[in-house]
Amino acid sequence: MKKELYDLAAWGIETAKAAGANGCRININSARTVEIGYRERKPENIKEASTKSLSLEVFVNGRYSSMSTSDLRKPALKEFISRAVAQTKLLAEDPFRTLPDPKYYQGRQNVDLEMVDPEYATWKPESRHAFVKAIEDSCLAKGGDKVISVTAETTDGHSESLLMASNGFDGYAEITYFVGSASMTAKDEGDRRPAEYGSAVALHLKDLVKPEVIGEEAARRTLALLGGKKIKTETLPIIIENRVVERIGGGLVDAMSGRSIQQKQSFLADKRGQKIASDFLTLIDDPLLKRGLSSNPFDGDGFAAKKRIMIDAGVLKEFYVDWYYSRKLGWEPTTGSPSNLIIPPGKRSVAEIMKDLGRGILITGFIGGNSNSTTGDASVGIVGQLFENGVPVQAVAEMNIADNHLKLWTRFVEAANDPYPYSSARVPSLVFRDVVVSGI
Amino acid sequence: MPKPISIESWEGFMKTMNRRAFLKTGAATAAISIAAPIFDKTWFALAAAEAPGYFEREFAVTDAVCRRILAKALAKGGDYADLYFEHTISNYLILEDGKVNQAYSNVALGVGIRTVKGEQVGYGFTQELEEKSMAAAAATAATIAAGAAKIPPQGFTLLKTGDHYPLKILFSAVPLEPKLGIVQSVNDRCFDLSPLVIKVNAAYLDQQKRIMVVTSDGTKAEDLQPRIFLNASVVAEKNGRRERSGWNFGGRKNFDYFTPAVVEETAQIAVNRTLTLFDAVQPPAGEMPVVLGPGLTGILLHEAIGHGMEADFNRKKISTYSTMIGKKVAEPFVTIIDDGTTPNLTGSINVDDEGIPGQKTVLVDNGILTSYLHDRISAKFYGIQPTGNGRRQDYQNYPVPRMRNTYMPAGPASPEDVIKAAGKGIYVQDVSNGQVKIGEGDFAFFVSQGRMIEGGKLGAPIKDVNIMGNGPKMLTNMIMLANDFQFYQGGAGSCGKNGQTAPVGFGQPTVLVKSLTVGGTRS
Repeated sequence: MKKELYDLAAWGIETAKAAGANGCRININSARTVEIGYRERKPENIKEASTKSLSLEVFVNGRYSSMSTSDLRKPALKEFISRAVAQTKLLAEDPFRTLPDPKYYQGRQNVDLEMVDPEYATWKPESRHAFVKAIEDSCLAKGGDKVISVTAETTDGHSESLLMASNGFDGYAEITYFVGSASMTAKDEGDRRPAEYGSAVALHLKDLVKPEVIGEEAARRTLALLGGKKIKTETLPIIIENRVVERIGGGLVDAMSGRSIQQKQSFLADKRGQKIASDFLTLIDDPLLKRGLSSNPFDGDGFAAKKRIMIDAGVLKEFYVDWYYSRKLGWEPTTGSPSNLIIPPGKRSVAEIMKDLGRGILITGFIGGNSNSTTGDASVGIVGQLFENGVPVQAVAEMNIADNHLKLWTRFVEAANDPYPYSSARVPSLVFRDVVVSGI
Repeated sequence: MPKPISIESWEGFMKTMNRRAFLKTGAATAAISIAAPIFDKTWFALAAAEAPGYFEREFAVTDAVCRRILAKALAKGGDYADLYFEHTISNYLILEDGKVNQAYSNVALGVGIRTVKGEQVGYGFTQELEEKSMAAAAATAATIAAGAAKIPPQGFTLLKTGDHYPLKILFSAVPLEPKLGIVQSVNDRCFDLSPLVIKVNAAYLDQQKRIMVVTSDGTKAEDLQPRIFLNASVVAEKNGRRERSGWNFGGRKNFDYFTPAVVEETAQIAVNRTLTLFDAVQPPAGEMPVVLGPGLTGILLHEAIGHGMEADFNRKKISTYSTMIGKKVAEPFVTIIDDGTTPNLTGSINVDDEGIPGQKTVLVDNGILTSYLHDRISAKFYGIQPTGNGRRQDYQNYPVPRMRNTYMPAGPASPEDVIKAAGKGIYVQDVSNGQVKIGEGDFAFFVSQGRMIEGGKLGAPIKDVNIMGNGPKMLTNMIMLANDFQFYQGGAGSCGKNGQTAPVGFGQPTVLVKSLTVGGTRS
C-alpha cells in the first residue's frame, strides 16, 4: 500500500502543477476499522469498513484553497485537481500563504516510534468477540444487582497516511490501535440512573489490558456515582482526576495556538516568558514518545518533530505556531498543534493526597461548560466525590467550578503519581487549592 | 454517557482543518482520521431540475441493483435491511484579516448498508457505488444474523413526503462572486459599525445533501436537504481589554435569503454582542431563579428533556424518563414539541434517514409526557409507528433516534412580567453549548451572554458562565411563559450523539425557571 500511496501523491503533484498550481501539498489516508458492540450478552452492532481519502492544498498565484476527495481513480482525480486550481484563482490574494521553507523539513528523527503492531493481523473476529464478551461479563458481575444496562464495545484499526509537498517533502506514517470500553447504567434513588464508562486503548496487542480491567472499571466508576447530589457552595481544594484533566487543560492549550494569538483571541498572547502558573506546572509536548497515541516524526507542515517544553515551572516558554501564522505574526514557527502532552507526575498517589488535604472534592467527570480563549474565563459542570478526612463520603453532581485560567493555574499545588496512559494527554491527577465549587 | 450538543462555529471548523492529519484516539471512543469522501465530476454541473431518480441518473443505481444488494444484506436472514445512498457537496468560504482568502470543499459520496435483527444491527459502507463494492458491504451487514436467507421485495414504491425547504436554485449553480460578496460585506460592515472592532472572522457555508433510502419493506425515499449559513465572529478592544462574540443566520434556506438586510443584521448583532461584553461581570454562584430569553435558549429543552426522550435510551432503560410516559412532568401550560416539518429550519427533514416521513411529535402535551422520539428499531420494540426521528450523520453511520427542531410554544405573560416575577436572579440571552447525562437527567448549558436581574429588572451584563440543572426537576420548575415565542434562525446548530453530528433547531418564549445552579466565581 505504501508504494501505491507514494505513486499516487507524486502523480497528484505533477497533475496540479500541469493545471497551473505553483505549489501543492497532498495528504492521502487509507484506513480499515472494525467495531463490535455487545449488550445483553449478544452483539448489538457490528460495523466494518475501509475508507480512503485524499486532501489537497493548492497555491496558485498567491492564492490558496483546500479540497478533499476519496475518489482515487485517476481520471476523476485529474478533473478534481484542475477544478480546484481554477476555483482558487477567484479568491483574494494572501501573501502569507506559501509552502513552508524546506529548511524546516530537515532534521527528522529516524527512529522507530513503534506505532504499528506486527501482530495486528492475528486479531481475528473470534478474538474481538471474546474480548468484548469478557468486558461485558466482568462489568455485569461487578455491577451486580445495581445494573440497569451494560454496553461493551471494541474497536480496532490500521491506518496509513502520506503527506507530500511539491517543494521537497514526503512523510509516511502508519498506526494500529485496539480500543475496549464499557458503559454501565445503575439503579439509584428515584428516577436517577447514573452512568459511567471504563476504557483502554493500546497500539500493540501486548499492551492492551485484560478485558476484566475495563469492565470492572466501568462498574466501579458507575457505582461510585450512586446517591449523587449537590452540596452547598463552598471554597475547597479540588483534585482533577487524570483522565479528565484534558477538559480543563484544553482551555490553556487552545490559547497557545498561533491562530488564536494572531487573531487576537488569546489571553496568553503577550505572556511568553512570563509566569502564568505556579512553579508546579511544567507542560511538555513530545511527538517522539514511543507508542504515544499522537506520536509522529513530522507535523502537518512537514516540520521535523521535536520535544518541546511549553511551560517550564510556571513560565510560558512556547506557542503552537504553524508556518502560515508564523508568517502573519513575523515569528519563528514551532509546530502547529499539540502532539502528546505530558505533565511530569509527582510522588504521591491520589489517596495519599486526599488524606493530606482532609476535606475537598475529587472531580471524576465534567459536564457542559466552556472556556473563552480570548479572556481565559472558564466555567464547567463537575461530577465527583466529596472527601472528608481523606475518605470519599458523598457523590456530588449538578455542581460547577468557574475561574479564569490566569488565576486558576497559580493555585495548582501538586501533580499526583498517576499519568493517564490512554490518551495523547499523558497527564496525572492535578490538585488545586481554593476553588469555588458552586451548588446550592 | 454524556451527549453533548454544540453550536458549531467556523472556529471549530478551522480546528478540524488545522489539526494534525493523523490519527487521534480519545478515551472512550474509536480512533478517527480526517474523513474525506468522493469528489465527483458532477460537482460543478449539477442538473438544475430535481426530478426523482438522482442516484439512478448520476450513478446508475437502479431498482434492480438495489434489490440485489438487499438480497445480499438479507442472505443470513434478519428482520429488515436498508440502503442509504448519500451525495453531499459542501463549500466553505473563509475570511480572515479583511479578505476571503481561503476556500474549502468536500464531497461525500457513498452508501451505507444495514441489516437489522431485533435490536441488533450489522453495518457496512462503501465509497464506491459499484455493485461489487456494495455487495461486499452488504455481506458485512448480513453477519449480524445467522438464519435462512430472506427474499427482498419485487419493487419499490416512491415515498410521498412534504416539501419543507424547496431549493429554487442549487448552490452549485450560484456563481462564486455573490458568495464572496456577502462574506466581504459582513466583514466590512462589522468594521464600519465600531472603531473598537480589531478583528473579524467571517465564514460562509453552503451544503446540498442528496439522499436515497431503499428498504426491504419496499419503500424508496429521496430528498435534497440544503443547508446554508453566514457567520461573523468579532474581536473588539477597549482600554486594553479584549472581548469576542459573534452571530450567524441560516438554515435550510435558499441563497437569496442573504439579502443586504440580513447581512447587515448579522454584522450588527455580532458587533453589539461583542461590545456589550465590556460591561459584563461574573454572576454570583449558587441556586437562583433563571429567566431564559426567547429563541436560542431552546437548547435548554434539547438538553433537559429532548435527549432523554430519544427512544434508544428508553428501550435500554438508561434514561431518567424511561418510566415517565403518561405522567405529569410539567405545569399544564407547558407543551414541548419536536418537529421535522417547520419551514426552512436547520433541523427540518422531509424524510428521515431510514425512509420515514418527517413529522411533528409532541413530547409533552399540556404537562403530560406523551411520546418518545422513535426510529424503526425502537418503534418495533414498543409496537408503535416510528416518529421519523431515525437520523444519521452520513453514510458511514447507522441511524439512531435524534431530535429535529425542538421547541415550546408561547404562554400568555409579557416578557417584562416574567423578568419581574424572577425578582433577583439571572437572565440568559445566548447559550453557546450544552450537555446532558441521560441517566441522571443532569444537564449543563454555557451562557455566553446574559444580564443580572435585580429588583425585577434587567441589570448588568454577565458572560461565560455554566448553568447546571436536572431535567425532570427543571421541567416542574418552569413556572411562567411569555408571549414572545421565537425560533432560533441560525444555520450552525449541530448536535452530537454516539460520535455523530446532526443539524438541529430550537425555539421557545421567555421562560422563568424557579431555580437552577449558576456556576459563578463568587461564593
